[in-house]
Amino acid sequence: MKRTRHINLDRMRKAAGSRFILRPLALGVAAALVGCAPREEVKVVSSVDDCVDSTRMDEQQCEAAYKKALAEAERTGPKYRSEHLCESEFGNCRETGGGMWMPLMTGFMVASMLDDRDRHYGYYNPVYRYSKPHSNYYNRLMTADGDVIGRYGKTSYTVDRSSTRPKPTVSRTVSRGGFGSVASAKSSWGGGRSGGWGG
Amino acid sequence: MLRIPIGERPGWQARAREFGFGFHTMYGEPYWDESAYYQFSLEQVERDIEDPTGEIHQMCLEVVARVVADDELMRRFRIPESHWDFVRTSWENGDPSLYSRLDFAYSGKGPAKLYENNADTPTSLYETGFWQWLWLQDNVDRRALPLQADQFNSLQEKLVNRFRDLQFLTPGRVLHFACCKDTEEDRGTVQYLEDCAREAELDCQFVYIEDIGRDAEGRFTDLDDRVITWMFKLYPWEFMFREAYGEYLGRNNIRWLEPPWKAILSNKALLPMLWKLFPDHPNLLPAFFEDELDRAGAFEALVKKPIFSREGANISIVRGGDIQSLSDGPYGEEGFVYQALHALPQFGRNHTLIGSWLVDDEAAGMSLREDDSMITQDLSRYLPHAIV
Repeated sequence: MKRTRHINLDRMRKAAGSRFILRPLALGVAAALVGCAPREEVKVVSSVDDCVDSTRMDEQQCEAAYKKALAEAERTGPKYRSEHLCESEFGNCRETGGGMWMPLMTGFMVASMLDDRDRHYGYYNPVYRYSKPHSNYYNRLMTADGDVIGRYGKTSYTVDRSSTRPKPTVSRTVSRGGFGSVASAKSSWGGGRSGGWGG
Repeated sequence: MLRIPIGERPGWQARAREFGFGFHTMYGEPYWDESAYYQFSLEQVERDIEDPTGEIHQMCLEVVARVVADDELMRRFRIPESHWDFVRTSWENGDPSLYSRLDFAYSGKGPAKLYENNADTPTSLYETGFWQWLWLQDNVDRRALPLQADQFNSLQEKLVNRFRDLQFLTPGRVLHFACCKDTEEDRGTVQYLEDCAREAELDCQFVYIEDIGRDAEGRFTDLDDRVITWMFKLYPWEFMFREAYGEYLGRNNIRWLEPPWKAILSNKALLPMLWKLFPDHPNLLPAFFEDELDRAGAFEALVKKPIFSREGANISIVRGGDIQSLSDGPYGEEGFVYQALHALPQFGRNHTLIGSWLVDDEAAGMSLREDDSMITQDLSRYLPHAIV
């Protein structure tokens, strides 16, 4: 056979109107994108003691995990230009070195499967408690990129595997629009093209 | 190779909606046309398209190796000197590639002749990898095509597998996809690649090219201020080199798809270089740089192509001193190359071009475009094919 053997058509379907989802919040709460992504169970712990009590890790390992989660929070946490904006979504916030505001980490994820001990990343993602009143996400725990993992207060959650992977660094953008000018100049030539810079 | 009329699938427009294929009709003209299909034999596909595709790709890589090693050639390929290190480093590091498309003139007999290599930003990917695959499946299901009908099209399978490999080679990074605003076709192509990447369990984000920002350290950011560390861009390298953020390329830690060395392959200067390195290869057309035209005297007619161009723009035919422009466009300021005229085969009134796809270095499928004129452009119709 010279063609693709099988395509899961359900995964190729695009529901009307949902093709390009705009993220609803500054933080970017992701809608549940794919129904059948691989999932795994994680513990969410709020402190080193909690970590020792509810996981198989010992105190030294938990201490190291906690420090790693704090460093991840510093690097990847949602950042706001004002204290007010941050507090309106997450309640408790602190100022970062770069003059931005970010929420305090509520806890961090620890993979609950023993075989995940071998993995050198994805272990200690920080999570935050969303607390904007009247929001659909009120009292939900989410990762730095806005993936909701569940209602606050449980000890273990089943999450998409992507939630356990490291999140991108969040920085302060100082300018935008440095790419795209050549395409824009060429399209103003106006030769009836459909747009698009592929070929 | 035959052009065979076939009934359209009843209600295929609704099916297109169901699967998010929005650009099957552009400016009131059909772009996707399933009133006919092209029929190939397995031998035609394997001997005349698949095998030469893999071979030409290897020849193209040989050209890249020569060009990066030679300042004079880097100049001929119009790579800005400030980006030589960027391009060279990506080649020396073996930065992995994702996909490309070779365009061939082929009539069913004799060797396919290479027109050009779309190695940086090829489109019509969704139509090929998914939509024409579905067309075949539907037509076999309704017995409009025989049960054993096949298609040269393992594109989607190979893309998903390639993304898995790329994730392994690029661990721990989120892949940002980007294209320009206001182009439904490009957005559709990128959406399809995102679908394939998600199928391979990659973490994906999307940002428009125009929305890319930078932080104080020169790292690129998306609209949520996340630092971009791995990016697929459906946007030509030769544009990026010349734009405001071009100066940060190579100074920030980003893995690129396609990798920067593809700037050498998606460049029409590739054509005379191939002819120099592999003269008289059956799948190549004689091609020359502007300052080598004295060696092109034996050819009655030459096609003049801009070194940088997209979708058949700014093409003309030169016969002796006579120049006939076949298409306008905004390209040409970086100079031209000349290729011996070899017209597309005609099926009825249709001039037909074959796109032969590669995922990394493996031939992966075929697409056909038809036009009423000799030049295939962005509005040329897309027709499916079948191996029977």
